[in-house]
Parts: sequence; structure tokens; C-alpha cells
Amino acid sequence: MKKILPVLLAFIFGFCFLKASLAQEFNFDRALNDYLYNYNLYRQSYNEYITAKESYLKYQTLNSKNEALAKTTQMLKNQDEVVKTYLTALRLKLSATPGLSAEEQNVLFLKLDSEVGWFKQHQNSLLSAATLEDLVDSAKKGAKQYQQTEILTYQTLGAILASKQMGFREKIAEQIKALKEKIGEIRLKGDKNTTTAERWLLEAENRLTRSQEKQFEAQQILAKMKATDYNKIKPYNQAQLNLEESHQYLKEANSYLKEILGELKNAD
Amino acid sequence: MPTENIPDQDFENIPTFEEKSSRMKFKKGSLFIFVAIFAILLTGLLATAIFWGFNQQASKKTLPSKPTPTPTLSTSQETLTPSLYATDAAILKIEQDVKNLDQELQGADLKENSLNPPALDWQIEFKE
Repeated sequence: MKKILPVLLAFIFGFCFLKASLAQEFNFDRALNDYLYNYNLYRQSYNEYITAKESYLKYQTLNSKNEALAKTTQMLKNQDEVVKTYLTALRLKLSATPGLSAEEQNVLFLKLDSEVGWFKQHQNSLLSAATLEDLVDSAKKGAKQYQQTEILTYQTLGAILASKQMGFREKIAEQIKALKEKIGEIRLKGDKNTTTAERWLLEAENRLTRSQEKQFEAQQILAKMKATDYNKIKPYNQAQLNLEESHQYLKEANSYLKEILGELKNAD
Repeated sequence: MPTENIPDQDFENIPTFEEKSSRMKFKKGSLFIFVAIFAILLTGLLATAIFWGFNQQASKKTLPSKPTPTPTLSTSQETLTPSLYATDAAILKIEQDVKNLDQELQGADLKENSLNPPALDWQIEFKE
């Protein structure tokens, strides 16, 4: 019994350590590699599907039909896998980007998980497809669902970009707060004129507000996206531009802080 | 008598037509030589001037101008006359944080192009 116990404990610890290390390894980078690998597989299988389809349409033989069925099934399976791995990469990127509130993050996580679940089911349903017509129907279902998925992907991408701005804004606000306290302290001591520094601090705060407004505009654009929109990239690009402007305001705010510090370090 | 006033003319010494034409030829020849020398000198002068001008241009191109100090905007970063707070610990900490933040802001990826949605073809059909 005395001999078995240490072995058992070592086994349990080893198992727990292995499990923990494996769980830690699955991060955004790995998810992104998974997605890129699957996207490459999809493109290969898509080319094979095109060849098989052309061959079937040309010869109309049972053999070519069978080949077309196999290649189309494989291509659609790979397509579902691409969507699943892409959404997983997005999810991990979102969780790794600070700035977004837990509530907003959870709403997106739920939606992303639900989409991944749908495409998993769709992938399984392909196994029961017996004819080319079954596959065409299945692809149509996938296309319809992907219209919703596209909106979610753009909204998630927008949230990732926006959360970066939020993270920066929080950090700048912290510095503004610290500077405000210091300036207040200097004013009380009365050994340096703080009027200019205080006025510039207001300017920096103003830039933060404008940055927030731009971010809000971007989020509004993304929220208005519809599944029926033909060109979904257009509103996303507009939102991205607004977020870039938001970032520019943050840069300006931070540059003002540098100037305020210079002013405080110089004698009147 | 009017004939008295007539100067004595040395008719023998009057140059003949051939002599006149040969003198003219000589004069024309010397004029031609003079013009030719002038033209050669002028051409030489011009050539020298042009060549020298080109050389000057080339030298202007090859020789870099002396570096001048780049004018920089004074952003009041430099502490001209330090205040009491130039070495204040709190100010220095904020300054360091702001510098770090500046680097983060400059290096931020605002597009995340690696996460652009994949291009997928959902239009499957088996009709010609």
C-alpha cells in the first residue's frame, strides 16, 4: 500500500499538470493557425470540387457523379470547419483583448458559440447526404446561415477594435486623474502657476470625449447591419475608419499629457 | 591755263587690273584668316564656358550640401529652467507611464487584417 500511494499521487499530479498545460496551449495564435490550416484545406478541396463538377457535367457518368458527390461533400465539410475555426479564433482574440465589459463580451461569446454549434451540426448533416441535390440544399442552408454569421463576425471584429480603444482610453484617463491630483497639490502649495497646465488638461479630457464619440458612431454603424445587406464590408470599413479617428484623438490626448508634464517641469 | 594745275601723275606706277585683283585677294585672304581665328577663339571660349558650366552643375550634384541642423518644434519637452517639480517622483512616474502609453498607441494594430472573414463560395449547383 505504501508503495502504491506515491505512484498513484504522482500519476494524478502528472495528469492534472498535463491537462492544465494542454488547456493553456490553446490560445489565439494556435486558433489562428488552425483556421489558416483549415482555410488552406478548403481551398484545395474547392479546386477538386470544381474539377469533379466539370467532369460530371461533361461526361454525366455514374462514376463522375460519385466523384462529384464525394468531392462536394468534402469541400462543404471543410467549409464548415473553416467557419468553426475562424469563429473560435475570433472568440479567443476577443477574450485576449482587454477593454470590453464582461457583459458585452459574454453576449458575443454566446452568439459565437451558438454559430459554432450550428455549423457543427451542419457538418454532421452532410454525412447523411446521399445525392447531389441533398448537398445543394445543404449548401443553401449554410449560405443562409452564413449571412447572419457574417454580421456577427463584423460586429465581433468591431468589438475587438473598439475594446482596444477603450483600453487605451482607460489608461489615458488614469494618467489624467494622476496629473489632476498632482496639479491640485501644486496649486495648493502655490509655488508654481498651474493655469496653463489645467487648461491643457481640459483639452486632453476633451480629446478623450471625442474619441469616445467616434467609437460610439462606429458601434452604431455595426449595430445597424442587416443580414439582407448585399455589401457588408462597406459599413464595416466605415466603422473601422471611425475607430481610427477615435484612436487619433487618443494619440492627441496623450501628446497633450506630455506637453503638460513639460510645462510642470519648467519654471514659470 | 588749267593744265598747269593738273598734278603730275605717275602713270607707270598706276597698278594694273591684275595687280589690283591680287591685292584684293590678299586682303580677302587675310580677312578670312582673321575671321577664322576669331571664330575658332569664340568657339573655344564658348566650349570652355559650357564645359565649365556643366562641371559646376555636376559638382553641385555630387557634392552634398553641408548638413544644417534640422529645425525641431519646441514641444516644451526640454526643461529650460527646471521647476521644483522637474525631479518630482510622481511627475517622473507619470512621464514614464505616458511614454510607454505613447509607444503602445503608435504600435497598435487598428485593422486586424489577419482576422478578416474568409472568402467562401456557398453557391453550389450542378447545372450547365
